Amino acid sequence: MLELRGVAYRYPGYARSVLQDLDIAIDRHEIVGLVGPNEAGKSTLCLVAAGLAPASIGGTLTGSVLMDGKPIAGLPVHELAAWVGLVFQDPNTQRSGVTGTVFEEVALGSVNLGRPVAETVARTRSSLATLRIEHLADRDPMRLSGGQAQLVAIASILAMEPRLFILDEPTAQLDPEGTRLVGQALRRLAATGTALLIAEHKTDLLDGLCTRIIALDGGRVVLDGPADTALESDGLTGIGIQPPARVRLARAIKASGLRVPDELEQVAAGDRSA
Amino acid sequence: MIDLRELAFVYPDGTRAIDGVDLSIGRGEVVAIIGQNGSGKSTLVKHLNGLLRPTEGAVLLEGEPTLGRRVANLAARVGLVFQDPDRQIFAGRVRAEVSFGPRNLGLRGPELDAAVDEALLAVGLADAAGANPYDLGYSRRKLLALASVLAMGTPVIVLDEPTTGQDSAGITRIQGIVASLASAGRTVIAISHDMRFVAETFRRVVVMRAGRVVLDGSPAEVFGEDSWPALASTYLEPPLAARVGARLGLGSTPTEASLVEALVAARG
Amino acid sequence: MAWRRADQIDSATAPPARTGGASLSPADATYLASLAPPAPTTYHRLNPLTKAAAATVATLAAFILGGYIGPLTILVVGVLPAAFAAGILLKLGRFALLISLPVAVSVALVSVFTRAGETVLFVIGPFDATLEGVDFAGQIMVRLIVVAMALGLFGLTTDPRALVVDLEHRGMPPRVAFAAAATLETIPAMIDRATTIQAAQRARGLDTEGSLRARLRGVMPLIGPVILSSLTEVEERSLALEVRAFGRPGRRDLLWSLPDSSRQRFVRWLLLVVLVAVIAARVTGSMPAFL
Repeated sequence: MLELRGVAYRYPGYARSVLQDLDIAIDRHEIVGLVGPNEAGKSTLCLVAAGLAPASIGGTLTGSVLMDGKPIAGLPVHELAAWVGLVFQDPNTQRSGVTGTVFEEVALGSVNLGRPVAETVARTRSSLATLRIEHLADRDPMRLSGGQAQLVAIASILAMEPRLFILDEPTAQLDPEGTRLVGQALRRLAATGTALLIAEHKTDLLDGLCTRIIALDGGRVVLDGPADTALESDGLTGIGIQPPARVRLARAIKASGLRVPDELEQVAAGDRSA
Repeated sequence: MIDLRELAFVYPDGTRAIDGVDLSIGRGEVVAIIGQNGSGKSTLVKHLNGLLRPTEGAVLLEGEPTLGRRVANLAARVGLVFQDPDRQIFAGRVRAEVSFGPRNLGLRGPELDAAVDEALLAVGLADAAGANPYDLGYSRRKLLALASVLAMGTPVIVLDEPTTGQDSAGITRIQGIVASLASAGRTVIAISHDMRFVAETFRRVVVMRAGRVVLDGSPAEVFGEDSWPALASTYLEPPLAARVGARLGLGSTPTEASLVEALVAARG
Repeated sequence: MAWRRADQIDSATAPPARTGGASLSPADATYLASLAPPAPTTYHRLNPLTKAAAATVATLAAFILGGYIGPLTILVVGVLPAAFAAGILLKLGRFALLISLPVAVSVALVSVFTRAGETVLFVIGPFDATLEGVDFAGQIMVRLIVVAMALGLFGLTTDPRALVVDLEHRGMPPRVAFAAAATLETIPAMIDRATTIQAAQRARGLDTEGSLRARLRGVMPLIGPVILSSLTEVEERSLALEVRAFGRPGRRDLLWSLPDSSRQRFVRWLLLVVLVAVIAARVTGSMPAFL
């Protein structure tokens, strides 16, 4: 569905390419976790996949980005917005500031796409229900916690019904409760069948959620495989990524020559389904 | 070193961000303050260098009330590293940025150079002294912000979310810095959302909720089963190691190392 | 003891029900209408264009009509009853005084003493206070008060969001609405940022409480980060808006609208006619002498 072929990207005014010769394909229903050290190019990849780079921010893209086989080069972002959604890490900058209620905020993307009101209402209700935030519908978007605001941002993009939903470190600026709320929301998003691409440092969040993990380092793919094996691979630690807590614990226990108790897996599994 | 007595603080809009806190932190202690956003953590630490003044109660630093002392004056005793390095960095060169703090405290010449060099070495930016801060990545800019306060040589150093946005290497480095600050006898206070980092790095954990302290003890105490109801009430979760250890009946094992130790002991 | 979070009662695993169909249910229509900003009185509920027309005509007529009787008539017959109907008479009075008083006082001071006139009332130093000057100042003040109240009446009874939505229904491009609101959004964010930046620099010993020279020197470490982080935020904000298709040309089907009526349309035309008549009378010199 989304394909990057030989993609390299350079920000405007910079000599160095942040992304180098990427070949990535993401199909429908895939839930892809994107990991990598800081400056590996995760955010840049998200911007390229959403069509914002170079269309909105300039820069030089070589290679091609295709959505359902069609190149997106030259397409304005508002046309892509119906296909690809992008949620950023800062809940504040994603608040439009023009709406008085969460309902209107969530509906905003659909309204901007020119959809008829009845359709917008249906999509908005569906989106609020999927993320279980109907109770926030009448709240002032400016008076929400960081976690709630991120949920509203996610709901707002969801109401546009994108085929591919990209999230760039959605929990980076949230407290533990906010992180938990977003983790829950991601699970519910995944259950809708939308393809997801989630860039995150917190591998615990990706554990049990993602079907596939792509690791970037220095603008190149260094790992790309099924999530369960990828999250346990030594390759991750090698590029400075913390594996999930259960993996670290299991390794530490094994390193002392002991057997890993079943309880570890049970407790960790309990976390993942919460 | 630091005494907060019946401290209360009300913001101009009426929010009672701190609602009666009694807290004492001794010289050389290594303390983490945890809690959800809005629990009062940031508000609390801003009282330590005078950025905020108590609405009720008192703040004592080294036995003396902070009342009447200017922030610039208190900054020589309490260094505070803010969470976002980009809301601080202004110089065109790393070295100049790090010099700002100690220079404000009156350091000059060889003394100033020495302080800056030492701080850059501690955070691993010695080779980048001549670089433009914005040519460094985010993790290294955070380390730069830390260095600029380290160079001030304050007896108390407060870190606001030092590991947020940091990658694995950055977190390890910060753990090392906290350890060396502690062994140099400096008092370290950190606000963090990372329970694992807190359990592994700090000797004392203070849990805040709605402007009050609800738990105060070692990581083993705060993340142990007896504290779980209090932790749950503030929507915080103990690290996985603590929960696994409790499930296995091994007592309180807040860190990986302590869990492994307990397993080994149980076997042997 | 097993770990349990305080909120671990997450029931309802049934999939959410979709509201199907292409038409709006009556319940939904009512809900959407309720999203409009609250309007406590009939005057508030008037269409923004009507209220704007009233404010504009009152303001322009107050200036065109000479003397005291014209502006005061507008006040007594138009603005005050409307303010009373809207339940904001006192609030409007306070607002108007607050706005117009500083200007009025300075105008009065200047014109009382400098206006050329024959009847001198009293003298202060080299300045003569003339009756003509007092009269002139009086006329200015009356106009200022009428204008302040007319505009204030509009401002206090019209929610900015409602105004913008109504304009868009009348054909204004959506981008204008968004640009205006987005600009307003940037300012509090910038203030918040500047506060944090100042706190961070003070924590490193920047003295903002000392001598003036020290404070001036302290400005440099603030400007750079404020500008840079503002630019970053503006860029992030605009990208976030783009992914929500804000840049799309063409009309939008908005969730709610403000009611208008043929009666209100008639009133707006009537106001326009009155304004034109007043202008014509003044221009052709056929205005009665007392006005």
